[in-house]
Amino acid sequence: MTRPGFVLEVDERTPPLLVHEGEGFRLQRFPMGTRVVYPPDSLPGVRDVDAAIERALLEPHGSEPLPDLLRPGMRLTIAFDDISLPLPPMRSPDVRGRVMEHVLEHAARKGVDDVRLIVANSLHRRMTPSEIKKVVGERIYRSFHPDALTNHDAEDRANLTHIGRTPEGEDVEINRRAAESDLLVYVNINLVAMDGGHKSVPVGLGSYASLRHHHNVHTMLNSTSYMDPGHSALHHSCERMGRLLAEHLSVFTVETTLNNDTFPSPFDFMNKREWEWSARDQATYLAAKKANDAAPGRMRREVFRRIESPYRVTGINAGETEAVHKETLSAVHRQQLVEVDGQADVMVVGLPYISPYNVNSIMNPILAQCLGLGYFFNMYVGRPLVRQGGAMILFHPVPWEFHQVHHPSYVDFFEEVLAETTDPAEIEAKFEEQYATDPWYVHLYRTSYAYHGVHPFYMWYWGAHAMSHLGDVIFVGGDRKAVHRMGFRSASTFADALEMAGETVGTSPRITYLHAPPLALAEVR
Amino acid sequence: MIEEALAEKRALVTGATGFLGQALLERLLGDFPETRVVLLVRGRFGQPARARVEELLGRPCFNPLRERVGPDGIAAMLEERIEVLEGDVTGELPPLPDDLDLVFHCAATVSFDPPIDEGFRTNLVGTTGLYEAVAASGARPYLIHTSTAYVAGMTKGIVPEAPLSHRIDWRAETAAALAARARVEEASRRPEMLDHFVARARHEHGRAGPQEVAQDSERRREDWVNRRLVEYGRARAQTMGWPDLYTFTKALGERAAEELRGDLPLAIVRPSIIESALRHPYPGWIEGFKMAEPIILAFGRGAIPEFPGIPEGILDLIPVDYVVNALLAVAATPPEDGVEYYHVSSGSRNPVHYHRVYELVRDYFQKDPLPERDRGFHRVPEWRFPGRRRVERLLRTGEKALDLADRVVTRLPRSDRVRSMVRRVDRERGRLDFIRRYADLYAAYVEAEVIYTDDRSLALHRSLPDEERERFGFDVADIDWRHYLQDVHCPAVTVAMRFPSPRRPDPEVRVRPREQLTLAVFDMEGTILSSNVIESYLWLRFADVPAEEWPDHVASVARQLPSLLGAERRDRGEFLRAFYRRYDGASVEGIARLVEEHVAEMLLQRVAPAAVRRIREHRRAGHRTVLLTGALEPFAEPFRPLFDEVVAAKLMVRDGRYTGYLETPPLVGEARAAWLRGYAEGEGADLKGSYAYADSHTDLPLLRAVGNPVAVNPDVALYRVARKRRWPVEVWKHSSGTPRVMVPERV
Repeated sequence: MTRPGFVLEVDERTPPLLVHEGEGFRLQRFPMGTRVVYPPDSLPGVRDVDAAIERALLEPHGSEPLPDLLRPGMRLTIAFDDISLPLPPMRSPDVRGRVMEHVLEHAARKGVDDVRLIVANSLHRRMTPSEIKKVVGERIYRSFHPDALTNHDAEDRANLTHIGRTPEGEDVEINRRAAESDLLVYVNINLVAMDGGHKSVPVGLGSYASLRHHHNVHTMLNSTSYMDPGHSALHHSCERMGRLLAEHLSVFTVETTLNNDTFPSPFDFMNKREWEWSARDQATYLAAKKANDAAPGRMRREVFRRIESPYRVTGINAGETEAVHKETLSAVHRQQLVEVDGQADVMVVGLPYISPYNVNSIMNPILAQCLGLGYFFNMYVGRPLVRQGGAMILFHPVPWEFHQVHHPSYVDFFEEVLAETTDPAEIEAKFEEQYATDPWYVHLYRTSYAYHGVHPFYMWYWGAHAMSHLGDVIFVGGDRKAVHRMGFRSASTFADALEMAGETVGTSPRITYLHAPPLALAEVR
Repeated sequence: MIEEALAEKRALVTGATGFLGQALLERLLGDFPETRVVLLVRGRFGQPARARVEELLGRPCFNPLRERVGPDGIAAMLEERIEVLEGDVTGELPPLPDDLDLVFHCAATVSFDPPIDEGFRTNLVGTTGLYEAVAASGARPYLIHTSTAYVAGMTKGIVPEAPLSHRIDWRAETAAALAARARVEEASRRPEMLDHFVARARHEHGRAGPQEVAQDSERRREDWVNRRLVEYGRARAQTMGWPDLYTFTKALGERAAEELRGDLPLAIVRPSIIESALRHPYPGWIEGFKMAEPIILAFGRGAIPEFPGIPEGILDLIPVDYVVNALLAVAATPPEDGVEYYHVSSGSRNPVHYHRVYELVRDYFQKDPLPERDRGFHRVPEWRFPGRRRVERLLRTGEKALDLADRVVTRLPRSDRVRSMVRRVDRERGRLDFIRRYADLYAAYVEAEVIYTDDRSLALHRSLPDEERERFGFDVADIDWRHYLQDVHCPAVTVAMRFPSPRRPDPEVRVRPREQLTLAVFDMEGTILSSNVIESYLWLRFADVPAEEWPDHVASVARQLPSLLGAERRDRGEFLRAFYRRYDGASVEGIARLVEEHVAEMLLQRVAPAAVRRIREHRRAGHRTVLLTGALEPFAEPFRPLFDEVVAAKLMVRDGRYTGYLETPPLVGEARAAWLRGYAEGEGADLKGSYAYADSHTDLPLLRAVGNPVAVNPDVALYRVARKRRWPVEVWKHSSGTPRVMVPERV
């Protein structure tokens, strides 16, 4: 039995604590009484992954075993999560590739010839050939790429099918090949509670026409939080869509969960609680910190980019989507859930170098916002970690940098839209349509490696709940111009940030530091 | 006495639109209601003479008069008492009325150093023409000829009010001066000279194309001719003993007047340096910049750290109303024996020394400094009067340092910092040129050790009855220089600088929908893309060959680099031709595939988001977007969706492979402008409303071809042109965070 999650209360014996800040990290001393939320220790992994996969496929939840669903002459499509999962990327072999190997073997045995593999990249950028190869493995890549292994193209009108409308009037439009398959197998990695379930197919293989029904400000304000599917309007909408899809299409879902072995050696000290660091961990920290601070930005980025996590697989579940997802969620909770008593006035997070949308790329200011106010703020079930009107302090340098190939519409969103307003609803009403349908962005999304024109809007909506909930947002060490552009404030030190937050929450606030990654999901009572 | 003398008289005034002339006219109109005036005025810029006079009467000089008689009163004066003759004293004159009683000849060139022919034309041909026309009219007026005290030339000591003693043949001098232009023109067209102009023009504009070079060399030739004629004038004047052409021609003009007057009475009035009015029409009235104003203002702005001049020298200033009053008194007192001479100057009886003027002005500015935009107030410099040679040395050192700085900045790679350095260099250059010009020009006046006696003027003043002495007096002894300089003159000349206009906003691009088809033309490399043909080529090679071979390709390009750069400096077309040989034998299809799979990504990394935004803005406004590039066609392909028209270099193809030779001459420099004109004509586009964006001096013809040129990331040469013509300058960069060196991803 691994140690459960833990809330530390900082006292005089507490050492300075590790805080991520983009492509860097620091040891930060916190005020007495600060509560620090640590996730449970890493769960042990499944010993024999292949056996577990096989077992999942043969003994699925709420479904016949996979082999029974396969027959010669059928159209089989396998869709899988794109580069946004997991974070950091998984050290090879990627569990998705291993699952697909098994699925393909069963299909071969049953004489299924018409097999297509599709990256469920939704409105994300296409994956590059080498990225795809890393996920699916050498063998599948060589057998299927490029003709039978492709990225989903949400702007290819000819290859989208409008399935119908949900009772709420939401359009469901997905990839034509998937829609017209006799069996769609979806393979995921369920890193956080937001992922998976009915979110996989309708979103991953959907189009803008379909996504806009739940990727909008109204839905996000009613998803409290979107890491808690039971209380998330986003997930309710996805469920309606998924159920409608299930009426038309047979979906066999395979979901996998990982443990919290996030950082490989020599960064594995980041997986541990600071007071348990060995002398070697402390030395490694010092060396890594010095080397990292001294390195030029580009080199630093390259070092972090190469990090691959030594995750262990904690669970593989297959079968009917909802039945599978129930199991998956409980596995995720086992790894991440921590009980926290009461809300704080100030929530502190350290933003790491990576978010779902900047793998092999640059974390631009909008993504930093999304990671903090979207992902980390929403890492709760029950109530937010911070009270209504409280302050959030984030550690990140927020450099004014963009990856032009991956995020072209982000640059313009930052220069044009945010320069005018930062209000999500206003932005949605005034600019979304224009960006979503812009032919140049569409062209880049389809032919280059660009996120869809509308994607920065979603990033902004992702933070809408936090923006309406919080009284103050302060970035420690953030580029002043970039932070101000987003309507937030920037402090040079943590002490200054606390001082500034004092205007909103008073001079002796209750502070909670969400110590992540490795990820923790707070259950706030 | 004056009133009776001028009553019922008819007076011709030349130069009435000038500083002295209009002050005289104002007096004649306001104080002598029975005097009628004939004005000889030339039409200007399509404005007929009469309209100019109407406009003249609306100027500040006439404000007090207008207040007194009302606008209708002024209109009535124009109607009843003024006759306007359209004509130019230097050209064909209309017949003059035969009932003139007085002729005030106030027309003169205002410049100290005009080209020799122009100076003679105004000050001599104009004078002789006028007096001949007077003789021909049959009238027998009294001639009052305005000259200058400085006709005495470079001399020291005391100068009396008497005829000049020189025996120069003014007719021969005039003929020689007028002939000089033809000679200089001829000299400027000698092949050696023309070659020299072309060489200089090519050095500066060679990359912009032959037409640009031709235009610039012709400009240089014309400048040279003018400079040369100025030299002719200055040298001739100085060899004859005058400091400049102005005083020389005025001196000859006096002699001409003496000769041509026949038996008409003639008075020659020689004022010294005329400055703002002390009392009339109102204290401080001045129009335009006269002699001392540019210096006073520049001094107040702290722009003149030191100036030549002898501190003990007398600066002979005279308020304009004193000169006008003297002219009136002279007009009322015809000479008894044919010709009379008057000095209207302060140096003899109320001298003010150069150093004293400096002190008073400095004092004035210290008490009441000029505001500096956004910087509080200007600091007033302290002059030490180190003498001409030291000032000269300072100037020369400054000029040398600037030349050096200029050579450095024009060779630096372009950047915001370099552009701000260019601005500083240009500003300093302007300052130094200013000092140089005025130091040379005024040397004679600030180093003068001469006194012009004014006994006759004084006698004339004293002869006035008390009442008229009060109204029309011109006794220079009553001028309090502190009062005049600090309370009257300096406030008047600095008034415009007291309220500095807000900084003129930088010109901006405005993208507007228009009726007619409008083009938005974009250059690619350096403008929308921070990359170049060499980088694209390397990237292409990298994507194609194994990584081990990369260094070989880099080395091979590096070896060719010096010769390529040389070609680039001479002619971009030559460079492109040389470089494109490298594509010899490459498969068309292969290159297209590599560009799509690999190079497109690199190019998109390097594209400036601001450029893409602007292109799309033009499209939204309904403009047709055009990409004009010397890069090869496949490399423009990734941007095709942004443009309605893509014009790129095409290589010849044989059997599906490139030959390395261009199909058509590369589209660079003037070829771009020519292409654009042809295209616009074919498509019916309006170039005046169209836009062009480019980064390099070589694109000058292209930019000039449209009504809305924009310099993007300009090189120094283009930056200077853009600033001069107030073209918008924009800086388009790719986002920070983009790696400087990129290598293709491999699977």
